[in-house]
Amino acid sequence: MSAYKRLSIRQKQIVWAWLFLAIPTLFYGLIRFYPTGTAFVISFQDWNLLGERTWTGLSNYQKLWNDPVFWKVFRNTFAYLIIGTPVSLVISFVIAYHLDKTRFMHGFLRMLYFLPFMTSAVAMAWVWRWFYQPVPIGLFNNFLASAGIPQIAFLNSTTNALPAVLAPAVWAGLGFQVIIFMAGLRAIPGSYYEAAKIDGVGWWTVLTRITLPLLKPTIVFIVVFSSIGFLRIFDHVFNMTTNNPGGPLNATKPLVLMIYETAFSSFDMGYAAAQTVVLFLILLLVSLLQLWILKGDNS
Amino acid sequence: MAKLSLKKLTKSYGKVEVLHGIDLEVDDGEFVVFVGPSGCGKSTSLRMIAGLEEITSGEIWIGGRKVNDLEPKDRDIAMVFQNYAIYPHMSVRKNIAFGLWNAPLSKAEKAARIEEVARILDMSELLERKPSQLSGGQRQRVAIGRAMVRNPAVFLFDEPLSNLDAQLRTQMRLEIKKLHQQVGNTIIFVTHDQVEAMTLADRIVIMKDGHIQQVGTPEDVFHAPANTFVAQFIGAPSMNMLNVTGAGDEISLSSGIKMQPGRQTQTGQPLLLGVRPDDLSVDDQNPIVTGKVVVREPLGSETLIYVSGPQGEIVAKVPGKSGVKVGDEVKLGATPEALHFFDTETGDALV
Repeated sequence: MSAYKRLSIRQKQIVWAWLFLAIPTLFYGLIRFYPTGTAFVISFQDWNLLGERTWTGLSNYQKLWNDPVFWKVFRNTFAYLIIGTPVSLVISFVIAYHLDKTRFMHGFLRMLYFLPFMTSAVAMAWVWRWFYQPVPIGLFNNFLASAGIPQIAFLNSTTNALPAVLAPAVWAGLGFQVIIFMAGLRAIPGSYYEAAKIDGVGWWTVLTRITLPLLKPTIVFIVVFSSIGFLRIFDHVFNMTTNNPGGPLNATKPLVLMIYETAFSSFDMGYAAAQTVVLFLILLLVSLLQLWILKGDNS
Repeated sequence: MAKLSLKKLTKSYGKVEVLHGIDLEVDDGEFVVFVGPSGCGKSTSLRMIAGLEEITSGEIWIGGRKVNDLEPKDRDIAMVFQNYAIYPHMSVRKNIAFGLWNAPLSKAEKAARIEEVARILDMSELLERKPSQLSGGQRQRVAIGRAMVRNPAVFLFDEPLSNLDAQLRTQMRLEIKKLHQQVGNTIIFVTHDQVEAMTLADRIVIMKDGHIQQVGTPEDVFHAPANTFVAQFIGAPSMNMLNVTGAGDEISLSSGIKMQPGRQTQTGQPLLLGVRPDDLSVDDQNPIVTGKVVVREPLGSETLIYVSGPQGEIVAKVPGKSGVKVGDEVKLGATPEALHFFDTETGDALV
């Protein structure tokens, strides 16, 4: 104790800071950074989970480069990102923009939009699976049939399956994005709109010149957040294509599902780790790129 | 530039009426200040003139046109908001240009107008800056610039100085007054600060609870307040109010002092006697109140003394060098012209 008393105020602060930091540091070290580091190491090794780990150098990465399934999966993952992010951004903004102006049952409507976000992805995926079934079971095809439109093979077609899997994923994330957008809209002072009204500026100009620029921080957050979500998409795909995960013919398979299969069906840990590293780098790159593009000229 | 008339203007939110029939005529080029405590309906009136609030009943005329059903943009007005409402993502130039968005002018004409306004407001070198790079006073000027560039018939100011610190507020007050003398447009200015109202206005409109209490020049409302509310709202510190009883050409105070106010009163009639702290002098031959000084607030050139006596506590403003100390017994008096009489029941001034 006397040793502590002899410390200067600054040194005491440092002691306390490290004391408080110790738990999160340990937590992140053990639970986050150690496994991450191990994954990087394993990506240069050959390991079947039980046997010896053997160093193989870059052979996992070479295998990945020459694997046609990987490139297919790579394209799928980006398809989820490139379709999912803008579509969910536009839909959630349109909903938030109008919901913000609605006074009638405002709280209830907001709750309805948020409900899917709280629902389990497994349950949702199975309900949507039912929607997509052919007649006489599936909801959508029943509608089409009653309107006299030919059936659509949603989940069984290599071209339709990916959008069909993406739709519930977009829908599920909508509630969260709507809430964030509404918070952003609320933060814009009402006098900005009143000033524009007095200046006689039309609603489109108000939207594009005032609302959207002022929502930029919100948009940056949602774009980054939802991009990471779509790049890591797994549960929706897995649950909607359980008979043949990622099928038909890998048409819906995202990178995370490939990693899962490589690791826990083929028990090729080294190869799976290499894929993980690639996914990590993609996520890092995409996020940095978006932050850089969207935040660029913000002062 | 134009006249502005409000005729029997009322505003209700649901069943609650907040503005009870406002009548007002504002002359071309006049600077009129609406002043009153919060909730008095001054901002609501302004927003109704601007077209941001619907009119429940009554009429608003601007420049000989009834504007009740016109959109804000068609009313030939411009407004400066309390929080300035300048867009943080646009440069000063773009902010000002926003006021001209729909103006039927060529690009060159618009640019010339912006330059001219910037020159008048002395901010030509600030045009390319973003609002975040400006001080509070400069932002205020941008907001005024955006209103000016529209060259409206009527300028509306909604508490534009409230967000500034005391020193800057005084400075901007002066600038707004100079600006008005320079451009000469009709101005309606809303504030809760009576000093701002007094210093800026050609005429002051004092409001309370959705009613106009008095309309008049700063001198009118200060020297001849219409009722006790106006008397106590205008002037700092507030006018002292004493309960007195009339007795012919005399009045008697509750402390027992009798005096001649220089006017006839009804014998036995209870009255309110108002006297401003500035009008009281120490050691008067004909005192209204006597008592002990309990608190002294030196303000430099003047000192406020709080005198406690049988009639309650009274504030007086005495010269800074008068040397009155806490604990002193003082006799305070005033000339008959400085005395104001009010009806005890209604609070209306007795002339």
